[in-house]
Amino acid sequence: MGFMISSTDYAEFVKRTYAYIHAQKDYITALDSATGDGDHWVNMDMGFERLTKQTDQFLSMPIDRVFQEMGKTMMAVIGGSSGVLYGSAYLAAARAVKGKDTLDVNSLCDALAAMLEAIISRGQSKEGFKTMIDSLAPAVKTYRQALAEHKSEKELCLAVKQAAIDGAENTKNMEAVRGRASYQENKGVGHLDPGAVTMSYQISIMMDYIIETL
Amino acid sequence: MKKLMNDPSKAVGEAMEGLQLAYPDKLTYTPDLEIITRKEKGDKVAVISGGGAGHEPLHAGYVGIGMLDAAIAGNVFSSPSPDRITEAIRQVNKGKGVLMVVKNYSGDIMNFGFSAELAEMDDVEVETVVVKDDVAVPDSTYSTGRRGIAGTVFVHKIAGAKAEQGAALKEVKQAAEHAIANIRSVGMAMSSCTLPSVGKPGFEMADNEIEIGMGIHGEPGVGRSEIKPAKELAKDLLERILKDYDYSESEVAVMVNGLGATPLMELYIMNREVQNLLKDREIKVYKTFVGNFCTSLDMAGCSLTLMKLDDELKELLDAPCDTPALKILDK
Repeated sequence: MGFMISSTDYAEFVKRTYAYIHAQKDYITALDSATGDGDHWVNMDMGFERLTKQTDQFLSMPIDRVFQEMGKTMMAVIGGSSGVLYGSAYLAAARAVKGKDTLDVNSLCDALAAMLEAIISRGQSKEGFKTMIDSLAPAVKTYRQALAEHKSEKELCLAVKQAAIDGAENTKNMEAVRGRASYQENKGVGHLDPGAVTMSYQISIMMDYIIETL
Repeated sequence: MKKLMNDPSKAVGEAMEGLQLAYPDKLTYTPDLEIITRKEKGDKVAVISGGGAGHEPLHAGYVGIGMLDAAIAGNVFSSPSPDRITEAIRQVNKGKGVLMVVKNYSGDIMNFGFSAELAEMDDVEVETVVVKDDVAVPDSTYSTGRRGIAGTVFVHKIAGAKAEQGAALKEVKQAAEHAIANIRSVGMAMSSCTLPSVGKPGFEMADNEIEIGMGIHGEPGVGRSEIKPAKELAKDLLERILKDYDYSESEVAVMVNGLGATPLMELYIMNREVQNLLKDREIKVYKTFVGNFCTSLDMAGCSLTLMKLDDELKELLDAPCDTPALKILDK
């Protein structure tokens, strides 16, 4: 079938992500309690629960509309920092793939790159600040490289997934510059950033799903 | 967790609704968006504020004549989203502009910032002031910097009074910034607090332990120690404030604020110590506020805030206000 992401696929991605995040309550809450106030899982879970309820509506929409709706929902339901960042990200992705019904291997890269840019600009943040950017940025970079090197679609997906996971893992040694962890005496060093971890879940689930459908 | 609630996920909305039901003739509540506005709006610049819930009476408790026109709550300890803030702006804007009083946290800055951009696209004049009064955090342009805590209440009071006088948006903003420049706070905690959605305390503190400088979401402070007599704790807090900003030979407003689980009796004792210490240092107290103004759910502890006053700030502080959590009578 090849690399093609339709609204139906995105709806399936949302459901899988909700199921996965929902099952990680204790782990993510423990991560966030170590450096933040422990509500990251609650907010993300609430956001994806609402998105899952919306997936039936997604089926009849072009992909850019799906992103737009996701952005609005995430902004409103997740709330806090993550909400406005994911909201800005999906609204930017919607603009980046405007007019498209489905995504191919290039336009998914455009969407992810637009998300990254939006998060950086809204959060006044960059790589190395111990945030979700530290998972998304290496994933986008790896994605671009894989495209340039004409890697097979499966290899590309595996590489992007690994980059996101490694990126999240690398936050362990970083000092937080933004958010609650930055108030810790040691700036959260020694702890994973929960926002980077949940970002890596989403990228992993998406890449796994694409591999399944290739 | 033992709390008076029905469902943790509905706690914020039900609390906001309960507040409105206590002042049905004065406040309006917008369900789901968690906005409280004052009914009698006045043809003036609107002043709004908001942030995560869990700091009651902040922010909605300060909605009323002479203070805020609207307050917007997010989830507990989590910024309200732009859709809520934009709707609040729409509800209170009388065409004279809107001042947003924002506490300095990443989430609040992003959500209020995004909302300001949306409002500008609709040709609504919006200005923002950022409260960062917590001396326990070094001010920094690299990191998020100093947190906004109880001093926010003074900023609501000053900005609200200025707006009530009919001042232009720029002037209201100037007054708020003038207040912010003269406000310093620091807190101390004796226990953790429990987020309703999490169900257990965010961290552990031993029975005899206290932490100076802890933030209003339980952010780490500047050092833990054993509990000490109120006299010593008051001195510690005050000295941190005086080291950060020069209050010598000035007149100040004082706020001794409870964090939620500390009895007023203890706050009055802290105030006694603070007043004595200020007297020793020849800092003149113009007005004092003791109570629970900016809390952290069920955290035990208190914060101390000083605002250095000049004639303008005195006049604005003395101006009448009528809100659920702060009432000042006409002289």
